[in-house]
Amino acid sequence: MGEHAGVTGRLPSATALGKALQREIAALEIVASCESADLWAASRDCSPSALLWTKARVVPHAPDVVAWPESAEQVAALVRLAGQRRIPLVPVGGGTGMGGGAVPVHGGIVLDTKRLVCPLRIGAARGTVDVGAGTNGKRLDELLAKERLTLGHAPPSLRTATVGGWLATRSAGLLSTRYGAVADMVLALTAVDGSGEILRTLEGPSAGPDLAKLLLGSEGTLAIFTEARLRVWRRPREWWLRAVRFGSLREALAAVREVLRSGLRPHIARLHDPLDTLFAGTDPLRVPQPLKWLAEGAQAEALRLALRAPLLLNRLVDALPASSLVVLGFEGETEDDTAEEGEAALSICRKERGEDLGAAPAEWWLASIHRAPWRQAPLFAAGAFVETLDVATTWQRAEPLYQAVRRATAGLALVRAHFAHAAPEGCAIEISLVGLAGASAAEIAGGSRDDAEADLEKALENREAAWSAALAAAADEGATISHHSGVGAARQAFLHRELGEGMRQLRALKQAFDPHGILNPGKVLP
Amino acid sequence: MIARDDLAAVGVSVVEEGDGLRLTPPSAAALARAVAVVRAYRLPLHVRGSGDAPANAPPGGVLFDLGSLDRIASVDAAAGIARVEAGCSVEALESAVRRSGCTLGPLLPSVRAGSVGAWLAGPTRGERGVPGARRQTAALTVSAVLPDGRIAEGRASPSKAVGPDLDQLALGGGGRLCIVAAAWIRLFPATLAMPSAWRFPDVAAAIGALERLCEHRLAPARARIRAGPDGATLGMVWEGILSASIERDRAARVLRESCTPAPEVPPNFVREPPDGHPVEVDARWSSLRAWSAHGDLILFGLHGGGAFAVLSLPEAAAAEQCAALARAASARVIAPRRLRDAGPGWEAAGAGPAWDRLVHALGVPP
Repeated sequence: MGEHAGVTGRLPSATALGKALQREIAALEIVASCESADLWAASRDCSPSALLWTKARVVPHAPDVVAWPESAEQVAALVRLAGQRRIPLVPVGGGTGMGGGAVPVHGGIVLDTKRLVCPLRIGAARGTVDVGAGTNGKRLDELLAKERLTLGHAPPSLRTATVGGWLATRSAGLLSTRYGAVADMVLALTAVDGSGEILRTLEGPSAGPDLAKLLLGSEGTLAIFTEARLRVWRRPREWWLRAVRFGSLREALAAVREVLRSGLRPHIARLHDPLDTLFAGTDPLRVPQPLKWLAEGAQAEALRLALRAPLLLNRLVDALPASSLVVLGFEGETEDDTAEEGEAALSICRKERGEDLGAAPAEWWLASIHRAPWRQAPLFAAGAFVETLDVATTWQRAEPLYQAVRRATAGLALVRAHFAHAAPEGCAIEISLVGLAGASAAEIAGGSRDDAEADLEKALENREAAWSAALAAAADEGATISHHSGVGAARQAFLHRELGEGMRQLRALKQAFDPHGILNPGKVLP
Repeated sequence: MIARDDLAAVGVSVVEEGDGLRLTPPSAAALARAVAVVRAYRLPLHVRGSGDAPANAPPGGVLFDLGSLDRIASVDAAAGIARVEAGCSVEALESAVRRSGCTLGPLLPSVRAGSVGAWLAGPTRGERGVPGARRQTAALTVSAVLPDGRIAEGRASPSKAVGPDLDQLALGGGGRLCIVAAAWIRLFPATLAMPSAWRFPDVAAAIGALERLCEHRLAPARARIRAGPDGATLGMVWEGILSASIERDRAARVLRESCTPAPEVPPNFVREPPDGHPVEVDARWSSLRAWSAHGDLILFGLHGGGAFAVLSLPEAAAAEQCAALARAASARVIAPRRLRDAGPGWEAAGAGPAWDRLVHALGVPP
């Protein structure tokens, strides 16, 4: 370990292997580093476990070296080098994943894709954009906006994630009900497989299984994306937004399902459970104090006290009025267009006894939505953990799934949820679990290293208990265990329940595309 | 023949056919057991009702006829999902879901005439148009029999991110890497189609108008372009309980800038069968424009990049002539089967070695 730094704890030092690899990679004219700060930054993602490592100031999974290739050819050269030496190669984009997918659990080379930013080529007439895998999501959105175009992809990680990260995890964003997930936007891909072959999938008609669709979501275990051709659309001029309150979750679910089944295509269709509705601030009821601490992460001592009794907290939520907020949005060329679809959707909501709250609460909701992930930092610092699942199922099973996860985790964490990524056949449920992790960041900073490690062990244990209970309940209900976050390391233990005999197909794919077993080992496949 | 006895023992009907055997499994489980036997004997294997395979048993091998796997296990009209076995004909499924107020939507004639398994494993990969000028496979997920006789069952979910999408090994795979035994199919609500017809100077202009509608995300569910002495007629229909009339009216606003309505065109114009001996293609818009000088088109699954199309010549020309012109326009012919183009596969993408390794790793019989 190297010198001490205030926030990070001791930084990792360069290993002999790392220094040797750096020289070999530099000989390929690829920028590489063994600097402590680079190794530290490449040792984590945005998963709750990684945030707990940060709080405890430990670095359990440092890579040996970080490399920044700038082209598909350089990526291929790096893959061949790793293959010859049997060194793990972990591709990393923005590092915003929440499942440990980009953590170098076996060390080796972290391949940072952020320099894979070939000049954007926009084919406005054809509705396409060619983009490098390292391109930042927000940057892409801004460049398309200048041409009055949009990809229609707006995940919470937009400001920090890369296009390659979206492809690797089959990302889905806020607008997925209208535009689909990123898998629906891909026309062609360039990627490097584990043998160092550059693959260029074809745009347009092709024979056999769709290679691009097969590689999407492989989380860097089959191939490393270097470039993509994506479908883009005219950027709409107008938005229509409404908040609608329902007396029960069931009525709200029925309304959203009927809106989708009617053929209408809202760009936003988000349904909040009663607690999430309460936090959304549209309810006349004020948020009771113990829950307010949880929303704000303030008053660390009081927050930890409240989290010692998650069952009581969840029962308090059960005792609250069970209203559910739905936010609906439509976009189009003119105000009349958006209002026409919006009013049609409202008429369906009224049949399910929905109360139109107007546009203001929905606009407030939209303005605050992208801040939500960053609000988790105060909670972690205060001594809590926040885990987020994104499970998915058909409409018929959505409410039983939600209730099953609540029951399974009620004694372990406070549960709040919203239903998103609505499709005519079903939806995703994004469930947040807020539980007790241990000491606050300030206490850890003032304590001993042994205390910090003991606290971390307990925190990871608490997190794991709540997480596993939730995923087990979801798997029991027949849901898919990840709608858009991927498997990474966090969901591996439940993958066999999702795929069953499909695990054999997964292993065969790994052998086919990564014959040396070097690409992101320890991820997806256990 | 030892294999024959072993195959009969796992509960499949066995009939000699030419130099090979035709097997008819009564269930997915029997199919899986029989696949394991076939693999143990390393027999060549074809599948009828699962895409690209020829209709006869290969010499010294077996043909799986999935015709008995034709059960429709459930139809959930509220969620728009049906569970169906692969041998069920698409027509039979459409009839069944219609009784529940649903539909599979407009489909190519060759798809409609085949089985669900053939649809999913065949060249269209089960894709069809969905609102918003996108194409999407009809399968929420599939049950697939692997080469070792095990059954991989996917979870029905509108979308998922649990590693690579394993359904993609079955969709469009022609039964090579696995055999589709059953599937969860997405259904649309059955509604009245909203028709609209327009006149253009020529077929190319009509194709350009459809491409423009796709840019505005107003693609019709089905369209037909017919050349006449005074130009071309474009007929379209939109489907969707509330969306059909909205989209038709918006499309009219877009089209009014460059063409004129044709109110005299009968509503069933779009549904009339094509002339002569048509071929079906998967084509990009540029290919369809290149074809436009030759004949008429009926289009399905319209999206930003192109469409499935039924191409026909004005006179009763042979399908071979039609296919040759389609190929010259860089369209991929997908029906009739005898004229089907192999199309560029994984080799063209540089993934030939990966394909070979995959076939080996899965234990696919020769």
